[in-house]
Amino acid sequence: MTERCDAVVIGGGIAGTAAGYYLAKAGRKVTLLEKSFLASGSTGRCIGGIRQQFSTEATLLTMMESVGLFRSMKDEFGMDVEWKPSGYLFLAHSDDQAALYEKNISMQKSFGLDVSFISARECKRLVPHLNDEGLIGGAWGPTDGQANPFLVVHGYASGIRRLGGRVETGEEVVSVDVSRNRVGAVRTASGRTIETGTVLNAAGAWAKEIGAMAGINLPVEPERHEALVTEGVQYMDVPMLVDYRPDGGYFVQRVTGQFIGCFTPKQRVAGHSHESTLEFLADMSWRMVRIMPSLRHIHILRQWAGSYSMTPDGIPMVGPTSVEGYYCIAGLCGHGFMLGPALGKMTAHFMTKGTWPIPMDEFACGRSFGEKEKMA
Amino acid sequence: MAKNKKSTIVCRCWDVTLEEVEEAIDQGITDPEELKRILHVGMGPCQGRTCGKIVNRILIDKTGKPASAVTETKHRPPLVSVPIREILGLKDD
Repeated sequence: MTERCDAVVIGGGIAGTAAGYYLAKAGRKVTLLEKSFLASGSTGRCIGGIRQQFSTEATLLTMMESVGLFRSMKDEFGMDVEWKPSGYLFLAHSDDQAALYEKNISMQKSFGLDVSFISARECKRLVPHLNDEGLIGGAWGPTDGQANPFLVVHGYASGIRRLGGRVETGEEVVSVDVSRNRVGAVRTASGRTIETGTVLNAAGAWAKEIGAMAGINLPVEPERHEALVTEGVQYMDVPMLVDYRPDGGYFVQRVTGQFIGCFTPKQRVAGHSHESTLEFLADMSWRMVRIMPSLRHIHILRQWAGSYSMTPDGIPMVGPTSVEGYYCIAGLCGHGFMLGPALGKMTAHFMTKGTWPIPMDEFACGRSFGEKEKMA
Repeated sequence: MAKNKKSTIVCRCWDVTLEEVEEAIDQGITDPEELKRILHVGMGPCQGRTCGKIVNRILIDKTGKPASAVTETKHRPPLVSVPIREILGLKDD
């Protein structure tokens, strides 16, 4: 059976549902294909943090746009997505780390971001349970925050359906037809052929495989990151605490009162692995208690793992590709949930109007890969 | 079925009612994994041990899906919730 639509979006995570929503809003007939259930990949496995404190211009500006979108989701979707501007506090335990934050802050401030370097005493006042031993101070962004990834994706997907588009789960893409360097159709495992002139690869950890279907090389490699969540306790307004020491970690108190967090793996585990380890449970417990000693009394409910989709330089690949009609939002490097709304909106804008609202060269799919994004 | 769906608690950890579960199913959320993530059922201290089977029973009744097609959600470690101090071998204080 042959069907037709204006744009096929591959992937039911944040990037795909957001872009699909803004394409539908621009009047395009959208079909979104997700091989499992919505937010079953990296989006639903992230800890829901949303920050604007980045060290590169395009990412910072994209995140400022994203935060604006998170703020307005309640009205846009008619449902609460648990957005909360609970802030991000990057802890500095060395002069070098403090200097790096100060440097980033002056750049961030020049773009109008509300961010400042605060003393250890001010950190302690913000988070009374914080262990301030060896703490020099922190980079504090009060307008950063958190939201619930499942609810955000659900809001966008419901929006696509409301606007007349289709969101189909359990529908796996197996090939993309390209002729004379132009996208022609997408085929699924269930035997469907969907003719379209526009394909958006928002397949997250599988972006490379979906790219290869059209002969496009996307150097995006999944690597495993683990996370855990505790039981809920009284809400104490604990912001995302980021400790970039080699044995640090990051966690936030969710609006549900639960603490949710993770750390950057000591050794890279490449490939599509979602295996949880006892080592992570023990290690993360120790790291959390070092940052916030009172957490020793809390129960851990659950641990899991998900994939970061890494590019060679740690910066996303967004926009048109070498094949006409084939776009991607790929390689979001662990920041997909927070970047997704704005990248989805800006990419939909580019796909329908042919221009970017902000300079996007940094994210260009055809770039050569240089220096890494640097926060630590 | 229960007379008062508003006061019938399906998930005791998050106080999710029968009415809320049925509304979500009516909205088209019919995968146990999606119901879990949208409603939080099975994400509290019981980790689905209490509510999981109840939610699936409601799904089967409402959607007419065969029981074999409504699978349990993924079980994640630890098997039971553990206080951090026990993981770290710290003394009770």
